[in-house]
Amino acid sequence: MAITLGLHALLAPIGSLMFAVLYVVWRGDPVRRARRMQAITAWSYRVMHRWLTVFGVTSLDLQKSLAELPDGPCVVVANHPTLMDVTALLGLLGGASTVAKPDLFERRSLRPLLHGAGVIRGTGSDPLSAQRVVDDATAALAAGFRLVIFPEGTRSPRDALLPFGRAAFEIACRARVPVVSVTITCAPLWLSKDRPFLDPPHPTPVLNLRTLAVDDPARVDYDSRALRQVVEARFRNWMRLGRPHSPTPIHEDESPWPMPSKTA
Amino acid sequence: MADALEDRLKVLIVESLALEDVDPQSIETDAPLFGEGLGLDSIDALELALAIHSEFGVRTKENDEKNREYYHSVKSLAEFIRSEQAKASSPAP
Repeated sequence: MAITLGLHALLAPIGSLMFAVLYVVWRGDPVRRARRMQAITAWSYRVMHRWLTVFGVTSLDLQKSLAELPDGPCVVVANHPTLMDVTALLGLLGGASTVAKPDLFERRSLRPLLHGAGVIRGTGSDPLSAQRVVDDATAALAAGFRLVIFPEGTRSPRDALLPFGRAAFEIACRARVPVVSVTITCAPLWLSKDRPFLDPPHPTPVLNLRTLAVDDPARVDYDSRALRQVVEARFRNWMRLGRPHSPTPIHEDESPWPMPSKTA
Repeated sequence: MADALEDRLKVLIVESLALEDVDPQSIETDAPLFGEGLGLDSIDALELALAIHSEFGVRTKENDEKNREYYHSVKSLAEFIRSEQAKASSPAP
């Protein structure tokens, strides 16, 4: 833990300075800059999770996670049990746009990274600011980026899920890109709402990220309500079934989707 | 007794947001529309703003800090619509 805190204290200012410099140096093409900065942050997150595993702070298997991802742009939705899942997910994806709380954009040290990497400012107190978020997110998808959204809007409660918001599904429907559901577990739980940083559990927390399903919004006629309902129901089913961490085939009689005709 | 505008708003919310399981009369005039109240989300807010513009001719400005107050409940929305309609009908100075 002391090594972790020491490395963070040493590297965080260097990282902030590096991104501030890159933000200026790569100012010519914002899409290219975002792609490069996302790749750098993803690589950094993978390195971070490697040394966290080596030092026994947490464990994440970088090789076995997230199979069968679409090649092109998509909206990745996931439950959010711990703060570590953000870095793990972005590291495994190799870069993606995300939506961050507006408060983070007020931190001067983070601004070059957030703006440079194409992070989208989330909704503030104005309920109609969702329009800007949807517009920015669809533009990012049109530029070929993947987009990560935690549809609960905040960290998940222990062994439960909050209701899913509709923004991720509306964005996928408007951009006409698939929704990738990723399930995340952290056992024992750490960096959750009720387990702070300075209270690490024993044994070492193990992070697991798996692709649960890939859904094409065309199958619900680009209806974001229906899409949310299907995806949220599948997540709740996964949680109810004891969170088996392997992609679970959806049988025809259990599928919430209208299945294609066998004779077609 | 609830005002007619409040009643029209309740019906508009149910119809425009396709809340199939909600009876308009069951929506409390003072209850929050978002979060722990009716449970609407940010995309519902956008659709409701469009419906209000279409039904009442009142346009909600984006990035207005007061939108949170206007969209708090049926009661606050009705007050916002009345205020905007009064502004529109008053003669220009």
